[in-house]
Amino acid sequence: MNVSKDLIAASVTPLLLSILNESDSYGYAIIKRVKEMSDNELIWTEGMLYPVLHRLEEQGLIESYWHKAETGRQRKYYRIKRRGLEELEVQKKQWEVVVAALAKTWTDRGNS
Amino acid sequence: MFDLERQINSWSDHLRARGNFTETDIRELESHLRDEIDDLISSGLAADEAFLISIKRLGNADALSNEYAKVNTDNLWKHFMLDPVNPEAGRQNRRDITMVVLFAFLAGTLMKLPELFGLKLFATGSELFYVRNLSLFILPFVAVFFFIKREAETRTWTRIFAAFFAAAVIINIFPSYEPHHTALLSGLHLPLFLWLVTGAAYSGKQWQSQMGRMNFIRFSGESFIYGFLVMAGVAVLGLFIMAIFQSIGIDAERFFEQYLIIYGICAAAMISIYLADAKRSIVENFAPILAKIFSPLFLVTMVSFLAVMIATGQSPFMEREFLIAFDFMLGMILGLVLYVISARDVNQPVNLFDYLNLVLILTALVIDAVALSAILFRLTAFGITPNKAAALGENLVLLGNLAGLAWLYIGYFRKRLNFARLEKWQTDYLNVYLVWTGFVAFLFPIIFKFV
Repeated sequence: MNVSKDLIAASVTPLLLSILNESDSYGYAIIKRVKEMSDNELIWTEGMLYPVLHRLEEQGLIESYWHKAETGRQRKYYRIKRRGLEELEVQKKQWEVVVAALAKTWTDRGNS
Repeated sequence: MFDLERQINSWSDHLRARGNFTETDIRELESHLRDEIDDLISSGLAADEAFLISIKRLGNADALSNEYAKVNTDNLWKHFMLDPVNPEAGRQNRRDITMVVLFAFLAGTLMKLPELFGLKLFATGSELFYVRNLSLFILPFVAVFFFIKREAETRTWTRIFAAFFAAAVIINIFPSYEPHHTALLSGLHLPLFLWLVTGAAYSGKQWQSQMGRMNFIRFSGESFIYGFLVMAGVAVLGLFIMAIFQSIGIDAERFFEQYLIIYGICAAAMISIYLADAKRSIVENFAPILAKIFSPLFLVTMVSFLAVMIATGQSPFMEREFLIAFDFMLGMILGLVLYVISARDVNQPVNLFDYLNLVLILTALVIDAVALSAILFRLTAFGITPNKAAALGENLVLLGNLAGLAWLYIGYFRKRLNFARLEKWQTDYLNVYLVWTGFVAFLFPIIFKFV
C-alpha cells in the first residue's frame, strides 16, 4: 500500500517530534525508525527529511548537536526542545480529533 | 581496487558543486551515506555494491538539491530560478519590485519638495536642512517596504512611524547657531539611530530575538555593499550623460545635480535593501568574504603600527582629528570581526579566523588604550566641545563592544561558554548604539546650547 504524498507531508512533523521525544536521534536512524514503526509502509526520503529537520530547528522546536558515535564518526543528532514538546501536544490533539472522527464514521457505517 | 573513501569524497564534492547545501548539510548527508553503506556491507554486500546502492537511495544530486532549495525559502533568488512557475512567489516578487520603483520615486520627490519653500538642494543656506533630514526622506519608505513584506501589525506600524515623526519634529524645531556643531552631529547620528529603528521593521516580530538581530546585522552589511555598487553605477551613468551631452554643446550638469543624484540615491537605497533582503543565504554573502580578506591585512598593519610606535617611542600626537581616526579604526575592526562572526555557524568548532579575530581585537584595544590615555589629558586641559565629546563617546562605546567580544572570545577558547554567547553580546549591544546615537542626535544640541 502506498501512503499518499500529502498524507506523508502532513504527518512528518508529529512523527518526527514523537520519535525525538523518545530519544535524541540522527537522520539515518530516524528513517529506519519510521519504517520499523509503520511496518515498512512509510518510506521517508532523505531529500524530504533533512530539510524538514532544518526547518523545525529554525522554528526552535528542536535543536541539533554533533556527537561522536561508537564507530568514531561524527553524527548530527537532533534533540526536542520545550517548544517542540508543546507543539507535539497540540499536534496530538489535532490528530486525535481526526482519527476519532474517522473511526466514528467508519463504525457507524459498519453498524448500519 | 575500489576506493570507498575516494568515491565518497568525490560524491560530496559533487554535492558541493551543486550549491544549495551548506557545509554542515553536506557533512550530515555524508554521515548518512556512510551509515547506509555500513549497514549494507554488514548484510553481506561488497563495498562498491554498497556504495552504488546507497547513493542511489539518497537520490541524485539534482533532486536532492532541489528539495533543499525549496525548503530553504530564505534563498529567494534560487527559489525563483528553480521554481519559476510558482505563482505565489512570482506575484510577491512583482509586488516587491513595484514597491521599489514606486518608493524610490516617492522618496526622490519628497526630497525635491522642500524646493517649493525655497530650500534648494546644494544651495548655500539649505545644506543644514538636508544634512539633518537626509535619512528622513528615505528610511520611512524602507520601513514601509518591510511592513508590507512582513505583513506587520498595525501596532508595529504606528510605533515605528511615531518614532520617525518624533525624530523629524525634534530635529527640525531645534535652533542651530554658528558654527552648527551639534546640528551636524545630529545629522551624522540620526541616520544610524533611524537605521536601527528601521531594523525593528526589518526583523518584525523577531526584533527581540538574537537570530532576528543577527539577520539584521548581516542585512546591514549586505545592503551597504550593494548600495555602494549601485551608487557607483549611478555615478558612471551621470558622467556618461554629461560627457555625451557636452559633445553636442549642452550642459547636463544641472540635470545631474538636481535630478539624477537625488533620484539615484533614493533608487540605490531601495534597490540595495530589496536585493539584500531577497538574497539572504549566509554562504555567499559579500560582507563576510571582504571581512575575511581584509582582517589579516588589517592585523599586519596594526601590529606594525604598534611595533613602530614602541620602537620609536612616539606616542600618537593628539588632536581631535586623530581621535576620529582611532574611532574609525575601532569601527573598521568591529566591522571585520562582526562579519566574520555573522557568517559563522554557531556549532562550528574553533577555526583560524576566531583566533585572528581575537588577536585583531586585542591589538586594537592596546592601540586605542595608548591613544585614549594621551587624549584624555589633552581634552580635559582644553575644555569639552561637542565634537570632542562625541568623538570620545564613540570611542568608548566601540571600545566597550570590542572589549566585551575579546573577553567572551577568551572564555570561548577556554571552553567556558559556547559561541552563542558572543552572538548574544553583539546583538544585545545594538541597544547601546541605539541609545548613544539617539543621545547625540537629540540631547547633545540641548546640552551644548545648540551651537
